Amino acid sequence: MTATTDARATQEVRWGGLLAAAQGGDARAYDTLLREVTPRIRSLCRNRLRDTAEVEDAVQDTLLTLHALRHTYDPERPFGPWITTIATRRAIDRLRRHGRAGGRESNIDDLPESAAAVAPVAEERLAARNLRDAVAQLPESQRTALRLAKLEDLSLVEASARSGLSVGALKVATHRAMQTLRRRFGASE
Amino acid sequence: MRTDDLIARLSTGLVPVKRVTPPMLAALGWLALALAVVSVGVAIAGFRHDIEQRLMLMHEQVNLAAALLTGTAAAIAAFHLALPDRSNRWALLPLPFAVFWISGLGWGCVTEFVEQGWPALGTSFSCMSFIMGFGVPLTLAMLWMTRHAAPIRPAPVAALAGLAAAAIASIGLSLSHHLDAAAMVLIWHGGSVLLVMLLSQRWGARAMCALGP
Repeated sequence: MTATTDARATQEVRWGGLLAAAQGGDARAYDTLLREVTPRIRSLCRNRLRDTAEVEDAVQDTLLTLHALRHTYDPERPFGPWITTIATRRAIDRLRRHGRAGGRESNIDDLPESAAAVAPVAEERLAARNLRDAVAQLPESQRTALRLAKLEDLSLVEASARSGLSVGALKVATHRAMQTLRRRFGASE
Repeated sequence: MRTDDLIARLSTGLVPVKRVTPPMLAALGWLALALAVVSVGVAIAGFRHDIEQRLMLMHEQVNLAAALLTGTAAAIAAFHLALPDRSNRWALLPLPFAVFWISGLGWGCVTEFVEQGWPALGTSFSCMSFIMGFGVPLTLAMLWMTRHAAPIRPAPVAALAGLAAAAIASIGLSLSHHLDAAAMVLIWHGGSVLLVMLLSQRWGARAMCALGP
């Protein structure tokens, strides 16, 4: 038990040093830190979330927040509480959103006629695939904005906090993404 | 996107960043700014005509000291709480001072009621406009200085920013505005401080995001 605690403490000291170097612009130290700390973040997110995809989304949210807040780390202080707060915060955000979405959804398997009523036809599948391809071709910032603001139904403030983009930048990116998709599928403004 | 790809993307072209100012130093900086701004406000509005007698009164001294301590403690707590590695318990720091301040005003109401009967209550929107007029810009200044709290604890940091700013503004108001009845002070000073705090808690996160990354 003591050996595990010591190993953990040593690891956190190393991560603290890597983040301090990254604050100075050392990209290699930063890459090493992010790769080494990701399993810890995943474990912290797993404490709050069950679904594997949700956990991975929370891990990515945590990495984005870590990136946006890397200037708030004080190398004189332990790294553990710093990363724990960020990861826990992002996992709780996911959990809350999941709760909100759950309130609006109902399990269609419970409805006897739903299987026939909503059976996907080839055309619908094709349209969905075309849409997915079009979204994948959008620039990164537009794709992130679209995912947070439209698909995950976040408020601009929440989306801004999660992505590190300003509210203004998110509005512009979402608008441009929608314009591109409208043009692609020939819909009128 | 795969997590490995995200990591590669984040570390590519990494730029150096300037560390945030240590919280105690930032709090002192903000307090110096707040006291300077409120002093200018008092200088423009002028001291109340009976300032010398008022400052000799024990309860007035306690009231001013309690407001200053509440504002200082709230500012220190806000700057600490804005950092991810600080305990949530920092939020409790201004609580004893705020309770002392409000209970002092409440006690003043009770003694006045015993001595003079039911006080003449009225409206004093000038009190509210002084506290709002100085409290809101000072709150915005602190929200800008703690904007890194947006992804972590925006609401409590914003509420503390509002409390700190309004408490300091209320000191200026006590020095410049003639308002004797403790009940009136409690309602209009206390009410305005609470209003600034609630407004900041409600809209602070949005302001932090709008003020920049």
